[in-house]
Amino acid sequence: MSQATLAPHAGAHGHHGHKADPFAYDPAVDAPAEHHAIYDYDSGPPVERGKFAIWLFLATEVMFFTGLIGTYIILRTGASAWPNPEERLAVDITAFNTFVLIISSWLMVRALQAGQKGDKAGILKWLGATILGGALFVGIQVYEYIELYKHGSWPNVDIFWSTFYAMTGFHGLHVVVGVIWLICAWFGAARGKYTAQNHMGLELAGLYWHFVDLVWVLLFTIVYLF
Amino acid sequence: MSGHDEHKNFNANKIFLWLFIFTAVEVAWGILGHKWHVGKPLLWGGLLFFALLKGVLILQYFMHFRFEGWIVKGLIAPTPILIAVIITVLSPDVACNGKLNNNIGTSFDPKTGQIVELPEVAARKGVLPHNAPAPKGADAGGAAH
Repeated sequence: MSQATLAPHAGAHGHHGHKADPFAYDPAVDAPAEHHAIYDYDSGPPVERGKFAIWLFLATEVMFFTGLIGTYIILRTGASAWPNPEERLAVDITAFNTFVLIISSWLMVRALQAGQKGDKAGILKWLGATILGGALFVGIQVYEYIELYKHGSWPNVDIFWSTFYAMTGFHGLHVVVGVIWLICAWFGAARGKYTAQNHMGLELAGLYWHFVDLVWVLLFTIVYLF
Repeated sequence: MSGHDEHKNFNANKIFLWLFIFTAVEVAWGILGHKWHVGKPLLWGGLLFFALLKGVLILQYFMHFRFEGWIVKGLIAPTPILIAVIITVLSPDVACNGKLNNNIGTSFDPKTGQIVELPEVAARKGVLPHNAPAPKGADAGGAAH
């Protein structure tokens, strides 16, 4: 933690003496009479900046997906009829895709554990497998969209498809961003960026990836099984 | 937290196994629930229970939330309240459904350019609107696979 000592205002606690330059800070004159611990410490939040930022970002992401899921629930419960998702969607393939994403999340945990040990080869291996899992998830989702397109299931057909594409599409976009982020992290690891002492970049990428997994767990239930 | 990871040791394999089991049970419950007509409260309740259980495991362990300090927990704490606010704010849309131009249960037909009733809704009423496409058996909206 950096030691950002703040210059206290002259006169607040200090002694008023005579100085050659009245605007210059002179510790002998301007230093507080009694010790204030707050001046010795960083005034930032009691957590790493990157982690604070990513959690703040994830909180906004929660609200983003809440808007989508909330709208879906309201439309769904307000509809006089709603088709059975099983009759329109391939639940078995998507269930497999859910397992893929959960496995990739577990692989990410292993990658971070390797990072905590400073095991570069381990990071590359587990992170590489995580990326493959993410890419497979996106591939299966693209396949699903192509099949739906062939059957004429467009977003403008009815409210079921509108909400389906809105929710799964935005989530898919997040997965793509996550895969790109993980690829960047992988190249960072290959350059020896992460050590046992500093692997924050890897942890931040992991937090985002787990969040994407968490959102899918809820989306899968609400969209495919409800 | 880099350099302070000693307290974050947990058995990731065990958590993964639970996630795997809960997903399998959830999928089975979703499929069998529809097949056995267990009723929406029981079906949705069971599904939500398993989904939230998995979400909590991912958040608490994989995302290390339970090992974080007050500031991270404080950042996430308001979100459930905001979620409730969003749902509440959206609720009048359903209450005013009858006054909407494009009612829930209807869809825009790109061929005719008109708002038509969903085939499922029409079939339920026993009457098909003149400009609505006829439902193809149970697969009214076009099955994916």
